[in-house]
Amino acid sequence: MPEIITTVYDVFMRTYPGFLEATVVTLQLTAIGVILGTVIGLVFALMKISGSKILQAIANIYITIIRGTPLIVQIMFLYFGIVELYTMSNFWAGAIALGVHNGAYIAEIFRGSIQGIDPGQREASMSLGMDRRQTMSRIVFPQALRRSIPPLGNQFIITLKDSSLVYIIGVAEIFSLGNREAAQSYQPFESFLVVALYYLVLVMIFTFLLRLYENKLDVDRA
Amino acid sequence: MIIGENIHKSFGDLEVLKGVDLHVKPQEVVVLVGVSGSGKSTLLRCFNFLEMINDGKITIDGHTVNPKKDNLTKIRAEVGMVFQHFNLFPHKTVLENVIEAPITVKKMKKEAAKKLGTELLEKVGLGDKANVYPSKLSGGQKQRVAIARSLAMQPKVMLFDEPTSALDPELVGEVLQVMKQLAEEGMTMVVVTHEMKFAKEVADRIIMIDEGKIIESADPKNFFENPQNERTKQFIQLVE
Repeated sequence: MPEIITTVYDVFMRTYPGFLEATVVTLQLTAIGVILGTVIGLVFALMKISGSKILQAIANIYITIIRGTPLIVQIMFLYFGIVELYTMSNFWAGAIALGVHNGAYIAEIFRGSIQGIDPGQREASMSLGMDRRQTMSRIVFPQALRRSIPPLGNQFIITLKDSSLVYIIGVAEIFSLGNREAAQSYQPFESFLVVALYYLVLVMIFTFLLRLYENKLDVDRA
Repeated sequence: MIIGENIHKSFGDLEVLKGVDLHVKPQEVVVLVGVSGSGKSTLLRCFNFLEMINDGKITIDGHTVNPKKDNLTKIRAEVGMVFQHFNLFPHKTVLENVIEAPITVKKMKKEAAKKLGTELLEKVGLGDKANVYPSKLSGGQKQRVAIARSLAMQPKVMLFDEPTSALDPELVGEVLQVMKQLAEEGMTMVVVTHEMKFAKEVADRIIMIDEGKIIESADPKNFFENPQNERTKQFIQLVE
């Protein structure tokens, strides 16, 4: 047992400069994936609640396709679809794929939060003479956004882990580096254990920050 | 102030209002009573167009409303509404709740709105709660904030939809007190309530609605002592 700890420690010490760089790449992929996903998600959530049959249909098709196909297929599809047509780095192809993928899930998060707001809120706002746009932007959205934060945080964590899949198009993020390290050193077990630790620590840090933020929101409201 | 003529309203196949005529005069306090499901809340909600009538005519302050052409938001701004479940905005403080509509709808300056809001909160006895969030208030306090919020738009008429039904019994009095004060100041009010004592003391007219129609309309004394309709007699026996 002590032997494995020493070898893992050795692998860790030997590889951490590379892994720190890869961690930055993973975090960048995650951040872009979530931010892009949030923008896309907001647009599609609005389309779903717009009342327009055409917009709803477009949103439904998008969500059905994205949720019905594996992320790794979407990454390959986008990579060969976009990078072949336009000059784009592998990194951006991967980040955009993550954003497009997240958009579908985040759209559902927003839609659920908006529709979960008590209809009485809308009625009260309208009875005060506020129009539809004012009611949405001043009364419904701020409350819906607050409700979205816990599931959005969850989605962020999923994206962080899902970003490992872009190794398939050769982006030098954590998993991809671990994969290479495993092959080169003939120490696959130790290498992937180190990879797992990186993800675990990142997720734990983020979960902690999220909890702090959620508590702060509760305090604000109380 | 509000004239409803031949108002019909259906939800799907269910006809809730079957030709209601109601004329509320300026400064009049009208109390609507009836068993649940009689259509009294629906009638109230038609008056500020939260529900659209299927047939009939609604005239507010001399203007007959055409729901297709008129700017309903503008009309709603002149008709205050207080809900059974308060519907305060939970993400805004008490004062922010009150000044929200004057600022966004009437484009009032923030300072002026704050001054107005503070005055109104003092009027309903909650001057000290301006900066707390609604979740910290009791039901009675929430409803008084809701009344202040509605008054901030300086409506010509106030509609109350069972304002005390969701309250613990000991909190009903403080809300009725505020409503009574409003009535004394000359506010035109239409109130759906089960508080018969309030109806007796404050109403100019009590109207009994049954199965989507007005079956009795009288001043409180006549309503309680000399009801004409059998259903009204039964109802009075039930509530007294």
